Order: sequence, then C-alpha cells, then structure tokens
Amino acid sequence: MRTSTEPPAAARQRQSPEPPHLKPRPVAPRAASRDRLAAGAFLTPAVVLVSVVLLAPFGSTIYRSFFDDHRHSTFTGLDNYRLFFTDDALLRSAENTLLWVAGTVVLPFALGMLIACLTDATRWSRLARLCVIIPYALSGAAVAVVWNFVLSSDGALNQALSAVGLGSLSHSWLLDWPGNTLVIICVNAWQATGVAVILILVGLQSVPPETLEAASLDGAGPWQRFRFVVLPQLRPVSIIVIGMSLANGLKSFDLLWVLTRGGPGRATETLAVSMYEETFLLQRPGAGSAIAVVLTVIVLAASWLYLRRQFGEKGA
Amino acid sequence: MTMHLGRVLRNTTLILLSLLWAIPSWLLLVNALVPGKEYTGTPHWLPDSFGIFDNFAKAWTAADLGPAMGNSLLYAVVGSLVAVVIATGAAFAVVIMPVRRRVLWFWLIYSGTLLPLQVFLRPLFLSYASFDLYDTQIGMLLVYATISIPFSFFLMRNYATTVPREVVEAARMDGASWWRLFWQIHVPLSKSAMVAAFSFQFVAIWNDLLFGITFSTSDNIRPVIAALSELQGNYSDVGPPVVLAGAILVSLPTLLLFFLAQRFFVSNLKLTS
Repeated sequence: MRTSTEPPAAARQRQSPEPPHLKPRPVAPRAASRDRLAAGAFLTPAVVLVSVVLLAPFGSTIYRSFFDDHRHSTFTGLDNYRLFFTDDALLRSAENTLLWVAGTVVLPFALGMLIACLTDATRWSRLARLCVIIPYALSGAAVAVVWNFVLSSDGALNQALSAVGLGSLSHSWLLDWPGNTLVIICVNAWQATGVAVILILVGLQSVPPETLEAASLDGAGPWQRFRFVVLPQLRPVSIIVIGMSLANGLKSFDLLWVLTRGGPGRATETLAVSMYEETFLLQRPGAGSAIAVVLTVIVLAASWLYLRRQFGEKGA
Repeated sequence: MTMHLGRVLRNTTLILLSLLWAIPSWLLLVNALVPGKEYTGTPHWLPDSFGIFDNFAKAWTAADLGPAMGNSLLYAVVGSLVAVVIATGAAFAVVIMPVRRRVLWFWLIYSGTLLPLQVFLRPLFLSYASFDLYDTQIGMLLVYATISIPFSFFLMRNYATTVPREVVEAARMDGASWWRLFWQIHVPLSKSAMVAAFSFQFVAIWNDLLFGITFSTSDNIRPVIAALSELQGNYSDVGPPVVLAGAILVSLPTLLLFFLAQRFFVSNLKLTS
C-alpha cells in the first residue's frame, strides 16, 4: 500500500561509483552553470518552504527550551529539562510515553502478524481483513468518538459485560491510572494494526513457496515453518512496521485529545499532549519547548530503527 | 485429527479477532442510525430504526460542518497538490539534474517529516500572529502544503530513481530545456506516483487536528476535524447518535479515497507482476 516502504533504490544509486551525470560530458562551462541554475530553480520552492516554515521554528523551539517562563524570560540552562524529574504531571506523562512505546512496539506488530498469517490462505479472509483495515482509514478523532461511545461508563462495553453476567467487571475504563492509559494504547492498536496487516501481507507474498514446501518435506510443522522459514524472510518488513507504528504512536495527538484531553487531571497525557497543554493552555512555553525537544529525540531514535534499514542497505 | 483441530483453532482465533475489530465499527453504524430523540442512554446493538439523515443534518448544524468541510476540502486538495508538484520538482532536481551536494538537499527537505509536529507549533503560532496569518485560509494552506512536502519528496525521489535515464539524456540531446523536460516528460512518467503521494497527503491533511486547533479558531476557517472535536465536546448535549453520525460524515471522503486508492494499488500490483 505504502510506497514509502519500498527500499529506495536511490540509496544505492547515490553511492554508485559513477552516476552518469557526473561523467565528464563535452559541455561548455557556461551550459554547466546554466544547468546548475535551472536545478536551483527546481529546488528552491521546497528548500525555502521547508527551511522557513519547519526548520527555523524547530531551531527556535530548541533555543526557547533554555529560557524560563517568568514574565521577563531569562536563560536558565537545563532547568526546563529538569522538570521531567520534579514535575508530577510530566513524570506521569513520561511514564505514559514509555507505556506507549512498549504498547506500540508489541501490539500492532504482533496482532498484524497474527492476522496477516491467518488470513493469508483462508476462504473468507477478505472479510476479516476488511474489518481490520477499515479503522485504519478513519481519523484519530473519529476513532476517539467511536471508542468514547464504547468505553464511557454507560457505554457499550459495560452494557455488554452486564448482559453476559460479568457486570462486576464493568467500571469507568478511562478513570484510573494505569488502566486508562493501557486501554487507550489498545484503542491505538485497534486503529494501527490495519497498516501492519497490509505491509506484512505484501511481505508474505515475497516468501517463495518452494522454501515452505522444502521445509514441509523435511518434516517441519506449521510453527517451525513459521519460526524458521517465514519469520526470517519477513525481517525487513517487520522492522519497518515496528519503526513506523512506534514513530506514529509517539506523535499521536488527536486520539488522546478527543478521547480524554489528557485527563482525568493529566493522567493520560503523553509527551505529544503535554507539549500542547503546557505551551498553549498553561502558558509555560519554556517547559513546552523542552518537552517538544525531548519528544523529538525519542521520535528520531525510533525513526532511526527503520531509516537505518532503508538507507543503510549497502552497509549491511 | 490434529490437522482438523488446528484448523478449528485457527478459524476460531480469526473469527474472534474479526469480531473484536468489527464490533466498534458496527456499533458506530447502528447507533448513528438511531433517531436522536429515541436514544434512551443505552447503546443499541441491532438496527431498528432509520434516522441517519436526520442525525447528519443535526451534526451538520450543531458543529457548523458545512464551512468546515469546505475548508478541509480546500486545504487537502490545494495543499497536497501544491506540495506534490513542488516535491516532484525537487526530486527531479536531486535525482536527474546535475546538482552538487545532493545528499545535503535530500536530508534538508526530508528531515521535515521526521520531526514531531509539536516542535513547529509555538514559533509558527507567534509568527502567524505577527504576520496576520493566524486564523486565515492562506495561513492554513501554507502550513499544510509545507508539512506535506517532505514525505511527498521522499516518495517522488524514490520513484524518480526508477525512471530510465536514457529518456532524459535523449531529450537533452535534442535540446529540450529542463523546464520542458520536466513538464512534458518527467511529470507524465511520474503520474501514478504523484497520484499516490497526493492521496496520501490528502488523507493526512484531512485528518489533521493539531494544526487545525492551533492556527485557526473561527468557524469559517477551521478544518473539519477541529469541528468534530468540538462536537464530541458537546457529547451530552447533542447525544451520542448525532456525534457518531458526525464522525461518519467527516470520515466519508477519506474512506472513499482509501478504497479507491486500494483498488488502484491492487491493479497496479497485478500489472507489474
């Protein structure tokens, strides 16, 4: 589905010893400089827009994170970053973010793998696949609306539990920590598994059936075939799925914002939400900037997981 | 016998998982059908009445969805179109034209998609306020188009590396200018990748909430997800069926595009294999 997952052939091309355009060509120097001017014209809109609208604000946010939030803001070094160890709301937010990291690494990947493998060869699998993929086409806000309806205290889940005689299990799912964060991580998985299924199914198509037949002939059972034949061949796509759902989970704002606004209190906030809360609602831009910078570091580390894979192929 | 047991186990797991995924979607649909007045506070599990158009109408007026839909359509269509054209041009320059420091240009443009949106918010908000871009359609278009450039650039660059170089070399020999080469040869060749990048960015812009609530506030500027978020805020006033109907209404364009693009993708896959 996503073209982004195709390993960029360019990474290799860029490194190839002699790209054709670098070959000495019999062109006049004036033509060469005109070529360069033309290339500049094609590059300028993208470079200027990205630099002015994205990279300059990024730099400004880093700079701002070293200044305090008093009326006359002064340089305070790392004080804003120290809030991560002293501020209760931020501590909780950091804890939640760690839970999200764990949950978005495990759930969409494991469920996606299970569903992709189960539906790869069943007759009515298309219907099952459709059920999983539909939520992926919804916006985070719409997903939040649906699950608010399911999880609220007079919602569908509690109603279903009491209908089957498990009324004692019903409670306010979004009220108590850490249960509420865990429930929201599952909601995120409900939405994010669809893309994992699509990617893993594409990966499964590239597993040559001969390798499976050979393994069967050697007496390997279904589990062994999966573990020793299929799984190793799915390694590249697995890394992409995990890296992508991790980066997306860390950046996820709309689901949390519409479902709980980070509440009750600030119990379900992750760093992505805390940044907005601190900057725009509590008017503490210094703290907000520090949160944004820490979030960036974590997201970049997560992205590195799959970028290394995509760009570093010739190194491997 | 064990084969049989295995199949039973496998099918049971699959059915349970499908139900787990289907039930919330099912509840969304069924309860959006319940006429607002008949909803008594308990979720319905089976469709027994048909009031969805009434609920659509209520959601439409309660959240002022009309202008919001129009805005989002404008932002998503124009924003991703501009971004895809600019990104295709930059990819053309980086891959096909003779430029120096192509790695630097690549990372400069591509880095925008790696950063979380949160790092751009406050500085942009302040500049928008001082340049009178806050709460304007131009301001929204600017930020949406720009945020869509890096990833479109990534897709288009990957695609450009698969375009046979001989085509370009031949056209250059014939004396075609880069400008003509781009519009008359490269763009037609890249059309399918441009459509893919466009649909991807369309969905991303349509579904955005963070920029919508940060850079706009009035009903005739804000995008549709911001309106939906407000509708959800009035959950107890307007009642669950109306909010759910609003969520469906807001999701229809992206759902439609998703399934159209999926078919397009599958047919592409068949053609290439």
